[in-house]
Amino acid sequence: MRSILTRSSPIVLAIAAIALLAAPLGCDRALPSPISSAHGEDDTPRRGGTLHLAAFADLRGGLDPTGYLDGLSLGPIHLLFAGLVEYDEHAHVVPDLADHWDVDDGGRTYRFALRTGVTMQDDAELTADDVKRSAERALHPATPNPNASYFTNIAGYEAYSTGNAEHLAGVVVEGRYVVAFHLTKPDSTFPYLLAMHTLRPTCRSAGDRYSDSWLPCGAGPFKLPPGGWRRGTSLRLVRHEGYFRPGRPYLDAVEWTYNMTALAQRVRFERGELDLARELTDADAGRFMLDQRWKPLGIVEADTAIYGESMNTRMAPFDNVEIRRAVAAAIDREHQHLVQPSRMSVLTQALPASLADDDPSFTGQRYDYPAALEHMRRAGYPYDPVTGTGGWPHPIEYILYDPGLDVLTAQLVQQDLAKIGLRLHLKTMSYAAFLTLQERPSASAMSPGNWMLDYPDPSSIFDPLFTTGAIAPEGSFNTAFFSSPRLDDLIARAHLEMDQTVRKVLYREANAIVCDEAPWAFTFGHHTFDVRQPYLHGFVPHPVWPLDVSGAWVDRAGDALERALGPGLR
Amino acid sequence: MRLLLRRLGWSVFVVWAVVSIAFVVNTFVPGDPARMVAGVQARPADVERIRQQLGLGDPALVQYAHFWKRLVHLGPSVIDAKTDPAHANCAAVVPLGASAMHIDLGRSAQKRQPVVDLVATRLPRTLALAMAGMFVQLLLGLGTGVFAAARRGSWLDRFLVGTSLLGISAPTFLIALVLQFVFARGLGWLPLDGFGTTLGEHARCLVLPALTLGVYGAAYYTRLVRDEMVVLLQQDWVRTARAKGLSPARVVLRHGLRNALLPIVTAVGLDFGALMGGAVVTETVFRWPGLGELSVKALLDRDGPVILACVVVTSMAIVAANVVVDALYARLDPRVREAG
Amino acid sequence: MFDARARARFTRNRSAVAGTAIVAALVLFALVGPLLASHGPLESDFAHGVGPDKMPVGPSAGFPLGADRIFRDVFARLAVAGRLSLLIAVSATLIASAIGAVVGIVAGYYEGKRFARVVSVDGILMRLVDVILAFPFLLLVMAIGAALDRTSAVTIFVILGVTGWLSIARVLRAKTMQVRSLDYVVASRALGQPVGWVMLKHILPNVAGPLVVSATVLVAQMIVADSVLSYLGVGIAPPTPTWGRMLFEGQDYYAAAPWLVAAPATAILLAVWGFNMLGEGLRDALDPHEI
Repeated sequence: MRSILTRSSPIVLAIAAIALLAAPLGCDRALPSPISSAHGEDDTPRRGGTLHLAAFADLRGGLDPTGYLDGLSLGPIHLLFAGLVEYDEHAHVVPDLADHWDVDDGGRTYRFALRTGVTMQDDAELTADDVKRSAERALHPATPNPNASYFTNIAGYEAYSTGNAEHLAGVVVEGRYVVAFHLTKPDSTFPYLLAMHTLRPTCRSAGDRYSDSWLPCGAGPFKLPPGGWRRGTSLRLVRHEGYFRPGRPYLDAVEWTYNMTALAQRVRFERGELDLARELTDADAGRFMLDQRWKPLGIVEADTAIYGESMNTRMAPFDNVEIRRAVAAAIDREHQHLVQPSRMSVLTQALPASLADDDPSFTGQRYDYPAALEHMRRAGYPYDPVTGTGGWPHPIEYILYDPGLDVLTAQLVQQDLAKIGLRLHLKTMSYAAFLTLQERPSASAMSPGNWMLDYPDPSSIFDPLFTTGAIAPEGSFNTAFFSSPRLDDLIARAHLEMDQTVRKVLYREANAIVCDEAPWAFTFGHHTFDVRQPYLHGFVPHPVWPLDVSGAWVDRAGDALERALGPGLR
Repeated sequence: MRLLLRRLGWSVFVVWAVVSIAFVVNTFVPGDPARMVAGVQARPADVERIRQQLGLGDPALVQYAHFWKRLVHLGPSVIDAKTDPAHANCAAVVPLGASAMHIDLGRSAQKRQPVVDLVATRLPRTLALAMAGMFVQLLLGLGTGVFAAARRGSWLDRFLVGTSLLGISAPTFLIALVLQFVFARGLGWLPLDGFGTTLGEHARCLVLPALTLGVYGAAYYTRLVRDEMVVLLQQDWVRTARAKGLSPARVVLRHGLRNALLPIVTAVGLDFGALMGGAVVTETVFRWPGLGELSVKALLDRDGPVILACVVVTSMAIVAANVVVDALYARLDPRVREAG
Repeated sequence: MFDARARARFTRNRSAVAGTAIVAALVLFALVGPLLASHGPLESDFAHGVGPDKMPVGPSAGFPLGADRIFRDVFARLAVAGRLSLLIAVSATLIASAIGAVVGIVAGYYEGKRFARVVSVDGILMRLVDVILAFPFLLLVMAIGAALDRTSAVTIFVILGVTGWLSIARVLRAKTMQVRSLDYVVASRALGQPVGWVMLKHILPNVAGPLVVSATVLVAQMIVADSVLSYLGVGIAPPTPTWGRMLFEGQDYYAAAPWLVAAPATAILLAVWGFNMLGEGLRDALDPHEI
């Protein structure tokens, strides 16, 4: 007996296959035109208008500078809170809320003179008391501050953070507008730490202590209006009219929409409902860059992260330095780059591109297949590519989390290392499990390593990743468990050194050690790639902060009407 | 009555068993919730402090006992979180004079909110999606199955059953992808994702996810209904009814469908329970902020209280669905009579 | 059950034969395909696989079905993936069906009856089903993955096996509850036939309908389940391809390179069709009624 399936199957199958192939091609023909600026190429900043942004994820925690600071929350937090110091376009620390500062006592005291007449977002004036109160709020033992450990060097931190002292002794108010930070040891990285958002002044009226329902209030260019934050949906910040820089910010408001898929972001961006596309899929990013109309509108943000293969120097075979050198030479970084050409860059040494040495004589690690084979021979495990014999006799376990970029790059590394006789066995797991295992001394031989700059100084890379002091039985950031007394000495000296030229030399030597001993095989750097509409101006990628739109302005044809009638109409 | 009580007793047991197993599993699956709260690059000292602040340092057995003790208890009928921190995470549900019955599911480490708030916000959304999805499934499934059975052998029959197979051969995210491309991207009729702000927007945003679930689940019902009904339609008593002159439609609907309902009702019960667990993939693809999306994030972030709360809700829904299904058995088919 | 008459009915059934042919063709493709391909399934070809725009090439001379995100041959991967996908799907389904049938029939038969006034076989079995069903899938997967210390074919197998039999058991239980009061079943028991024999000879053929339908749907779900597991981050570890994983990996590139999605989706569709026709033919051969 014939089933109805037999007669229907060919037709429906054909329809299905065609539908699968045609749906995207039919619906996705060509990229629409960019929406031009109302005044063409005129570069004068214009006041007014709202900037619309979106993100796939959602804000974790609150808008509290003492809390969790990831790429997504930094966007609004950076606009809400201004600090004593800030980074300029060259990543140098310059005064912001402070007018100037002095360094005394051999680098142990930093004395800041605040600007006068700075208005906070609750209309109170910023004084030195606010600075001390904000620091104490951030470092209080009941505050869930994931970055408190950066400030252990402040005098009295120990006593205050354990609840044994009522105040933080190292922060001293010396006048209405003068505040001094006393450190236990001289530290040249202190201004960098202060530029981070953790200690930035918060309003007195918002409260002295951390609470989950705390409403953000600071001295930055934008403030949170009542009802501006609808959790899980959107966030709207409006101009702080009392911001201390006259005429700034240009924008009336900045609006984020959260929980939007990449596809939806692209569609809305094309329609002009979003002004900046930050989370395009790799395929889409490629298409935008190939289109001649959109190519000049691509923006490359700062490269502040390093990615590489972390090899456990305490586990075979990576306790053998020659094998590690072989790995570093065997990975073809140009191939890795092709996985995400719009966002990945080739990395051959420990520092991300935004900090990298421009010294052409510094070589770092390089793809060199014959050299890799030579290193394997020196290690005692020669590999013959013709017969495929030799190399390390056992499979090497490589842990990683799924899904993610690392899954793709790991498969390429697996292929590259097979060519020198190292057989990788990939083992996937959840992200939480991966972190736990990667940071345990005897849990895994090899895993993908990555690190983002916390502040624009080489110590942000070397200290947590490659120093002996960073090794711990649980939660060790030094995932290679690498220990080099020479490196430790260099790093320690660099912390005490105040002369920037000398520091640079010290870090270059540290870099050379790390590249040669290869606890990591550095593979690629990563930057965010954005596409803007032509009417969005003034968005200059900041060397440190992601998505710094404090200087941006929009120039849309429709905005003229809005400016005439007032921003509340939207 | 006794039967009902026994049923309820078993239901409570199932919920307790499931939650306990989930608790044990959650304790032993690797991953540090404090680390997930503090962030990837937080120093160990800071992670440890956060762990203590969140109460995650207590031994597992203590946390287990605490969970059940707090789950349902009596407390003041008006809760002021600031002055009464012991009841800060509670929801007062059943007023009993000056006091009220409280439900306390703990506090989410990640979202820093009482879990009852999260569940209360998201449960209606998942419920809406489950019911909408169920509706589409039954409409498509029963509809096509009945038509196919009635017009056995015809083009319509062949086409309907053939296309129903498309539904089960594709995972939900693929169906979602194609639907998004066709309806939202290509035709622009419906929103691509999200939840919207007004009731009208909620409804519009619900269409594609419900359709995804519907297409995926309908196939099973189509086949089931069609096969059951075709068998029944060939039985003697049906032929008799037709010979007596009753219209085919009447025969099909009144006599055929009712008897075919038993396995269908079973499937519906299973289905509803599963959907209430949150159609995880569908909610994630469409960014529908329901329980499924919440539970996935909580699992990946190792947020224990939220995981357990979702388990409680899901198991209660499944158990309730089973009770209803079992009760319907006896009503639908006299042959299936519960003894004692 | 599988007597000569049933076999004859099967071979006369054109759809059953067609289904068997499709499944056989897929198996052949899975076994022989990689030998015909010009590339290995795990090799990235940066010389020929990269298009001028740095994107993977589409269907072309060296790559009959195009190249994937890291420039490997989709044709070769599709064939190799078939091995694992088909193997997992079929074996997991067989086991799940067997367990589900046993549990379902036993539970349905003894429904309402109590041994020694206390033990309700149906009650115990169904509560077990409830507990496993109510347990969150992702947590279960993570737990099994952590316990077995890896996500591999074995993990997937265990996960699918543990969760797959539940719905079959419930559906068969309901059907058995209907069937157990049929005349010849009751008569058979009254004559003193052993319960197991009655279940096998009288009840099983009558519940074969829903069983086969459920099993064929289950095969489809098993093939697709791997894709969902990949989406949730717990699929088979790369670089081993399965159809489900290929589907998951291709979705980001759906607009730019739809063949990455169309190829595994079509393979899955064919497999589902084949198994369904095969299953339907089996059901028709076993079941005296005509559909």
